[in-house]
Amino acid sequence: MYSYKTGIPQIDQATGGFDAGTNLLILAPSLSYAEALAYSLIRPLPGEYAIMLSTNERASEVIDQFKSAGADKQFVGVIDAITKSSTPAVSDTERFMFVTNPTDLTGIGIKFSHMVEMIFDGTFSGKETGLFPPPIRFCINSVSTLLMYRKLEVLYQFLHVMTAKLKKVEGFGVYILNCEAFDEKTVSLIKQLMTIVIEVKVERSDNYFRVMGIRGINADWHKFTISKGQVVLVS
Amino acid sequence: MISTGMFGIDDMLGGGIPDGSRVLYSLDPGVDGQLFMISTLYSVLEKRQSCLVIIPHTTVDAFMHDVGHLRGKTIRAKEHKIAFLDSVDRERIQRSAVSGKAAEREWRARIQKLCTDNKVEVIFGYFDIIYEDFGLEKGLSLLSGSCPPDATIIIEHLNFGGDKLLESLAVRKSFDLILAIKSSFRPLPHFNYFTILYTSWSNQLRRSVPFLVRSGHVVPYIPKIVVTGPPEAGKSRFVASATELGMSVDRTGLEGDVTTVAMDFGWLHWQDFDITLYGTPGQPRFDPMLPVILNNAMGVVLLVDATSHDQLARARHLYKLITRMHVPIIVAANKKDLPGVMSEEEIRKGIGTGKNVPVLLISAHQKDEVRAVLESLVDSITRFIY
Repeated sequence: MYSYKTGIPQIDQATGGFDAGTNLLILAPSLSYAEALAYSLIRPLPGEYAIMLSTNERASEVIDQFKSAGADKQFVGVIDAITKSSTPAVSDTERFMFVTNPTDLTGIGIKFSHMVEMIFDGTFSGKETGLFPPPIRFCINSVSTLLMYRKLEVLYQFLHVMTAKLKKVEGFGVYILNCEAFDEKTVSLIKQLMTIVIEVKVERSDNYFRVMGIRGINADWHKFTISKGQVVLVS
Repeated sequence: MISTGMFGIDDMLGGGIPDGSRVLYSLDPGVDGQLFMISTLYSVLEKRQSCLVIIPHTTVDAFMHDVGHLRGKTIRAKEHKIAFLDSVDRERIQRSAVSGKAAEREWRARIQKLCTDNKVEVIFGYFDIIYEDFGLEKGLSLLSGSCPPDATIIIEHLNFGGDKLLESLAVRKSFDLILAIKSSFRPLPHFNYFTILYTSWSNQLRRSVPFLVRSGHVVPYIPKIVVTGPPEAGKSRFVASATELGMSVDRTGLEGDVTTVAMDFGWLHWQDFDITLYGTPGQPRFDPMLPVILNNAMGVVLLVDATSHDQLARARHLYKLITRMHVPIIVAANKKDLPGVMSEEEIRKGIGTGKNVPVLLISAHQKDEVRAVLESLVDSITRFIY
């Protein structure tokens, strides 16, 4: 089974990377490095693909973020839930697909399936990576925004489907949720769908993370920063 | 009758959707099924019928662009009788309504007004948001109670409730037609199919059909039917007669006899289905190839020579092999026009088939008889529950 390297030495050394089918929740407050952490986790390594469902940034901004994290944009797909509301005539391409807004879970699901199908049949980037099933990193940025548009029960069902699909295609999913914006019930319900949770906290402008759910890794807080798309632990 | 805009499906429904029906197109999450509703919308517009499209998840401009892009043909609002309630209307209702009840009243008032002003005959409703805002029963009554009683209502719904929800809707007779659009990883990865779960106007069994989306249309298809049988039963002839484009990998022996040494292959578009046929070699020495060719088949034609008792043992062996696949099977007994033809009973006994497997006596030279075999098999495939 394929293992997804995280680029975080402590995790990769202890686990050899995350197993295919892992779904990871980043639980973080506002103004933290959660988003940068997510980009570092889903940056496709050689032979891999990444798909980002963006409810906060336009596709072009997402690609810029990937580029600054050192990713080859040919292997990155974006489902953009922002641009179409202001530019209704924007058309889908192989790597950029659009839904009108984050309420359109039907559209999001279909675009995701389309991208995965294209990755599987080798038409996504024009370059086949040679691995089968093709390793796919997927991120929802963010679950918090989706929760503002749809009810928790509906979103839970949607995420249940998405996490199950990720398992089926042996992908790796990363989901960002703002821990300050929702009550405990909401957070614990979303957690139920996940294999691993990374909690982020900010103290005196310093960011810390801890990993929950991996055997062999303790839940200590690690001070970190992000440099050139990589997580750097600060001692 | 309203055409679904998908002719193969119209045939399965007995000509289309009766006027005044309540129709549910239920989409499993992620399945590419938006063209079902869109095909019906285009069909209604082409007939110059007046319709109301309720799209609380998107704007009119974005919807028109997406629909035109998916179908490859733009809807010109001025040329058609089409009215909309979109996400902008929903926002206005949400902003102005002080309670859920007030919002419901406002939705009803708007639907009623648009129906009256535009003499609406067909309503297309994208139901997810309404379902979320008002619940299933209230959401349905909001649509059906606000439009003229003889209007047809067609709803698209993202189904998170699974088969259980659909079964309960069928039992409660909430709709006249429930068509579920699903995807599966078996027998092929990213395999899409639809199932006609319930119709109020006929007692037909549920039917499931795989489909492709091609050039803006839903095309029912059967990716693989395998024709197998003992040597010299006429498999290559059967595939050639059945298909428009057929070829065979054969070897000619020293005495001029021709034997298939790899497979027959043919394709046909028939009764709105795209069908691909694969023929196996019949000689036992090619048996290691059979599982490969049979893999992912949706139906199998077991072709036997109706004049040859000697081949029945081989046919019985093949029949045992294919019954393990749990797919529809039909036995076609070829060469019925030659002397010494066995009876259907003799053939059944020789092969060991039950009464549930059809046995048809044919001549593979007669295209209509070959097509009758395919028709029977396709019928079995579409009734098969995946």
